[in-house]
Amino acid sequence: MSARDTILATLRRNSPDPAAHPLPDPALLGESDASPERFSASLTQMGGTMLDCHPDEPLDQAIARRFPKPGLMICSLVPEATGTVQIEDLPTPQSAEPVDVTIVRAAFGIAETGSIFLSESQLHLNAIAHLTQHMVVLLDPAQITANMHTAYLRPEFHTARYGVLMSGPSATADIQGVLIRGAQGVRSLAVCFAPQ
Amino acid sequence: MKEKPINHAGAAATFIADKPHLDFHDARLWDMRQKRDAQMHVLPEWQDLRSRASAIKEHALANLADYLEEFERNAKRNGIHVHWAADGTEHNRIVAEILAARGARTLIKSKSMVTEECDLRPYLAARGVTVTETDLGERIQQLDDQLPSHIVVPSVHKLTEDVARIFARHYGTDPDADDPHQLAEAQRLAARPVILHADAGMTGGNFFVAETGTFVVCTNEGNADLSATVPGVHIATIGIERVVPRMADLGVFIRLLSRSALGSPITQYTSHFRGPQDGGEMHVILVDNGRSARLGMDDFWTSLKCIRCGACMNTCPVYRRSGGLSYGAVYSGPIGAIIDPTFNERKYSTLPYASTLNGSCTNVCPVKINIHEQLFKWRQVLVEHHQMPFVKREIMHMAGKLMGQPKLYRAAIAGTETALGTLPRFALYNWLNPWGKNRELPEPVKETFHSWYRRNRPAAKPGQTDNAENTP
Ligand code: SF4
Repeated sequence: MSARDTILATLRRNSPDPAAHPLPDPALLGESDASPERFSASLTQMGGTMLDCHPDEPLDQAIARRFPKPGLMICSLVPEATGTVQIEDLPTPQSAEPVDVTIVRAAFGIAETGSIFLSESQLHLNAIAHLTQHMVVLLDPAQITANMHTAYLRPEFHTARYGVLMSGPSATADIQGVLIRGAQGVRSLAVCFAPQ
Repeated sequence: MKEKPINHAGAAATFIADKPHLDFHDARLWDMRQKRDAQMHVLPEWQDLRSRASAIKEHALANLADYLEEFERNAKRNGIHVHWAADGTEHNRIVAEILAARGARTLIKSKSMVTEECDLRPYLAARGVTVTETDLGERIQQLDDQLPSHIVVPSVHKLTEDVARIFARHYGTDPDADDPHQLAEAQRLAARPVILHADAGMTGGNFFVAETGTFVVCTNEGNADLSATVPGVHIATIGIERVVPRMADLGVFIRLLSRSALGSPITQYTSHFRGPQDGGEMHVILVDNGRSARLGMDDFWTSLKCIRCGACMNTCPVYRRSGGLSYGAVYSGPIGAIIDPTFNERKYSTLPYASTLNGSCTNVCPVKINIHEQLFKWRQVLVEHHQMPFVKREIMHMAGKLMGQPKLYRAAIAGTETALGTLPRFALYNWLNPWGKNRELPEPVKETFHSWYRRNRPAAKPGQTDNAENTP
């Protein structure tokens, strides 16, 4: 017998009584506030920031204010910003290594945790989300969902092959418990509310 | 195979003797526990979440074979290669074959307790594959050639100076570096080129979803997503018990996991893999390694509900003051003491005794495993299975009674030096030793655990008492 068949047979033989363990209905618990205010409070708690951006200024201007250093490699995946390099010019993960700032639009956000959802539809090159040093995320406030329960009802979880909820920048506390924001993935993550 | 039982008590005594490490370890884990409490207090639905998590897991386990088949069907439809491994050796062989077929010589991986179970790294090393752990804590442990001492924070028993010493040796950084930021940056810089040029990447998986064929990885550093998305091949190793039926079930678990583990609302990354990325290749290895047998153990099958949050370890007074390495096993702490004997009853026969049975672990467990009852049950089973000769059994029984009644236990330890002196060596060695007086250690521990505890927590801040350990 193959390992597969052996495992399945053993499981069937050893299984507790299924009738004694019914599956509860999917839960919809907790706070249902889906406001941008709750989202940004949660994002801040996770170490992310809200980008200082005004509705009537060009996004490029806000990006330049946030990243004033000249000569940065900026990859914009959104029509609202120009950037210095096109995603089409980054055919492999390795070619995305020098990118300093990536600007991308999230499919949705979660107010409970300040998370934003990205998939291959937004990223085109999944690795850029983790190789880039910094990330700026556009989020339509109308696409904020209240909490993890409501989030998992979103269709993206059934269509994306790679879907990541990023909640602030990468972080670690593996050395003597000291919290360090900016571990191995993005060093910073800033969100800008931008209706679509 | 006759392996000597792990000398948890002896190792714990050594750990306790090193005050700076002990103090940090104890305080750090207690801090995680308190952060977990703070998260719990702001969610009125906390107990409801726990009950649902438990019910979903019990349902999934009671229908495990069906859900595994459903997962396999959906994952395959999405282009994922699904492999089955009955044990560690089979798992390692599958990984080696995937790598060999692609001529892959370098593998980057994120933290996975299952690969530790399988002892993957030496297996691949012997076949010419260089494996690099990319999680900071796990990398520290790899460089130091130690098992992870905690399932969430693998190097929590180390201080900054230890890491500086290890990194100096391997990364050429300043051996006197005392800023964790500097050291974390050194890891980032050292890992990047390895990640960029790796032939294949490997992750674990916290959950997988039967309904969609998705697996989910929850991490903080970004290294798992780098390992998954940068190389063209992504292999994920997952224990068969990690399945949930529906996508909609994940909300309950994601809400509980990081809150229970670190006291943060969610991990920085919650990554869902439903199929290979463009031009890439994705493999899932479903690992049994004793789990299907455990499912048939009436008293212990619910330990398979575990989501590996580590909360039971953070809250356990014995774990906090003995350190994960003292368990001598892949899994340490209360949950380890339940799981490990299923791998090797004799070798891990002492671990179910590394507990005061105070029930704190059970109270914090997000999936409501009756951990302390299972520990107690294991003691009975081990005795029945004659893992201990008669005299030892009797002493265990006596010691068990003492430990079950803290006042009596304390009186016995503090008052009767002569009794300790006349107790057979086994009793001292297995139980009372790290907290009591041990005449066999070159440097005897000078005080009882309880008096040590009282001295070290005299002006307990609110919530820092034995009692607080017991509250959920
Ligand atoms: S037994 Fe419970 S508390 Fe312990 S690691 Fe597992 S899920 Fe967490």
